[in-house]
Amino acid sequence: MNPIPELKRQLQPMALILACALGLGFLFNLVMPQGLGWLPEAVSRPLWQPMARDQALAQLKNGAMLLDARPAGDYSQARVRGALKLPHDEIAKLYPLMKPLIAQAPVVLVYGQTVSRFPAADVAQHLRAQGHEKVYVIEGSLETLEKSGFPIQRPRRGGAS
Amino acid sequence: MNALLESLSLLARLITAGVFLFAAYDKVWDPANFAASVATYDLLPLWAVNAVSVSLAWLEMLVGTLLLVGLLTRAAALWACALLVFFIGLMTYAGITGAGFDCGCFPGGGEAAAHQAGFETAIRDIIFLVPAVFAALRPGRWLSLGGERGWAEGR
Repeated sequence: MNPIPELKRQLQPMALILACALGLGFLFNLVMPQGLGWLPEAVSRPLWQPMARDQALAQLKNGAMLLDARPAGDYSQARVRGALKLPHDEIAKLYPLMKPLIAQAPVVLVYGQTVSRFPAADVAQHLRAQGHEKVYVIEGSLETLEKSGFPIQRPRRGGAS
Repeated sequence: MNALLESLSLLARLITAGVFLFAAYDKVWDPANFAASVATYDLLPLWAVNAVSVSLAWLEMLVGTLLLVGLLTRAAALWACALLVFFIGLMTYAGITGAGFDCGCFPGGGEAAAHQAGFETAIRDIIFLVPAVFAALRPGRWLSLGGERGWAEGR
């Protein structure tokens, strides 16, 4: 049996399967309460505002608080010097502990962004929803921040804190 | 001989259906969790993560269901093969880059070591590929909704 004509014959039913999957996925996400939008809510309906990196550097010199929203493992490998750890996936646990500190800060800057993830947006959204006014997101990855002049701290192995 | 081949076809089809349905139900029901797993790979732009993860979950679910009932069997099996080849490539890439996070393939992830993305997961997917290829080559007619009308043979 020559497989090529048979594969060509299968393209139509395969396309049908793909179309049905896309349709069902779209419908389910539209109807069900746990359905997803195109973008995370923290990105599609942000309560926070972005801050340019040079402006953020100036704010840091004036005593702004810097929060690292990336996963704890990433924080332990490298971070902007002076940043406090507030991973987006642990915010429910850590926020109550950090609330008094955040409330005292004149300005809160949050960073943490990769190609597919934007944890800084989630953390900033959470803080804004909790009533903190001056919360800003510094967009870009840690590498981008480093290139923009942010001092990076790379603790030795086992030096996570 | 024919009965033996039919039995093997049925077994291959049901194994592949089981794998895909087991993998898909949690992704379909909890799309946010699966989207977070997809995002961990950092391969897609942020705007594509939710759309791709939802589509992938439903494609897995539909492929599993069609293989289970024996409808559009060859096309579904070909999708299963294509997806598994993609996953094998993805897991190999994760192994090379030393990803070390949960692959997001099956329910029960989150506990880091449960299904860690990497070479072991790639080998597991190669094993899953064997019955999927068999089902694509010989869809069979037993317990197949489309069998009598020739659908199961991919006509």
